[in-house]
Amino acid sequence: MNEDRRSFMKKAGIGLLAGIGSAAGLFPALSLEKTVFPAWDEKPEPGKYRWGMLIDTRKCSGNCKECVAACHFTHNVPDFGNRKDEVKWIWKSSYENVFPTASNQFQSPEVTERPYVALCNHCAEPPCTKACPTEATFRRWDGIVSMDYHRCIGCRFCMAACPYGSRSFNWRDPREGIKLASTDYPTRMQGVVEKCNFCSERLVKGLDPACVKACPEQALVFGDLNDQDSEIRRILESVETMQRKPELGTKPSVFYII
Amino acid sequence: MTLIKKIVLTAAGLLIMAFAGIYAFRYEESSAEKPAAAAGAADSSACIASKEYMKANHMRVLGEWRHSSVREGNRVHVAPDGRKIEKSMNTCLNCHSSNRMFCFNCHMYANVKPNCWNCHISPMEAP
Repeated sequence: MNEDRRSFMKKAGIGLLAGIGSAAGLFPALSLEKTVFPAWDEKPEPGKYRWGMLIDTRKCSGNCKECVAACHFTHNVPDFGNRKDEVKWIWKSSYENVFPTASNQFQSPEVTERPYVALCNHCAEPPCTKACPTEATFRRWDGIVSMDYHRCIGCRFCMAACPYGSRSFNWRDPREGIKLASTDYPTRMQGVVEKCNFCSERLVKGLDPACVKACPEQALVFGDLNDQDSEIRRILESVETMQRKPELGTKPSVFYII
Repeated sequence: MTLIKKIVLTAAGLLIMAFAGIYAFRYEESSAEKPAAAAGAADSSACIASKEYMKANHMRVLGEWRHSSVREGNRVHVAPDGRKIEKSMNTCLNCHSSNRMFCFNCHMYANVKPNCWNCHISPMEAP
């Protein structure tokens, strides 16, 4: 039997791989990738909280932009100074843009000429999460519609699906548009969608969202919609409120007092 | 050379190569170097695991932290010594940003280009 060098090396290679494979199977300590890190605890109970916001537009006055500035600074939202590249988490808009399907046809001019704060509604039935092909956006255990920017591939299906225009696309590198950077929060990168996260990074520290804290008129109330004794629930039960496009069935968590 | 001799030689060679391969890639676990239990407070004064583990697996730790904190809302990591630590890139950077080149030195040497710093503020950019 003649065995040349080439076939010997082939067999030896196969033997080596098989040896490593079986050894790793028999003795876990020999496996090449050891990733066991079994130390997790304190998982939140899904559905226990549902964060919501109530905007008292009677108090929300004029052209003040404290909430927008606070939010956009806290989250490193870029500003390029033009509408085409605009990125926004919270913004002020007109009555007909915020409530285009409001049932009252004959609203008083004082109401229709007032500016209204708009942000992600953190819907209970969010259409954006159903459109996302990579599950980069999802509804969290506490009702917040969140983004995992690591997974966003920039397809913008969620932007098409969102009926409120709450999502923005980073057409340009956002770092070019950040004049004063907050080091406590990351930026995004070019080619991902971004949106309001209800300040989930502040909520874990027990703080109210940045916009709520910044509002000089205390026009924004934040709280747990599942808690019957919360301030937001007490106000919701006592005052007539509106939601944006409620007929779509998205069940927004942001409410407006007109 | 007889057939039997050939088979024995081949088998011996295979065995030597297999053990050499296993030895070269074996996982180095040193229980002695795990950080000692810190008294009480949840801090980031000592690393969550041994230097060897973190050298080889820091990216997996970060990946698992990302998954469990972002997707499942579980933000508390319990280190093998019982310390509780917040799962956040900032926990790491609280210590490691003291050396601005901490990440970059090794990544440059190994010629790996992780995309962490596309979004996260790196120690080199931090003021």
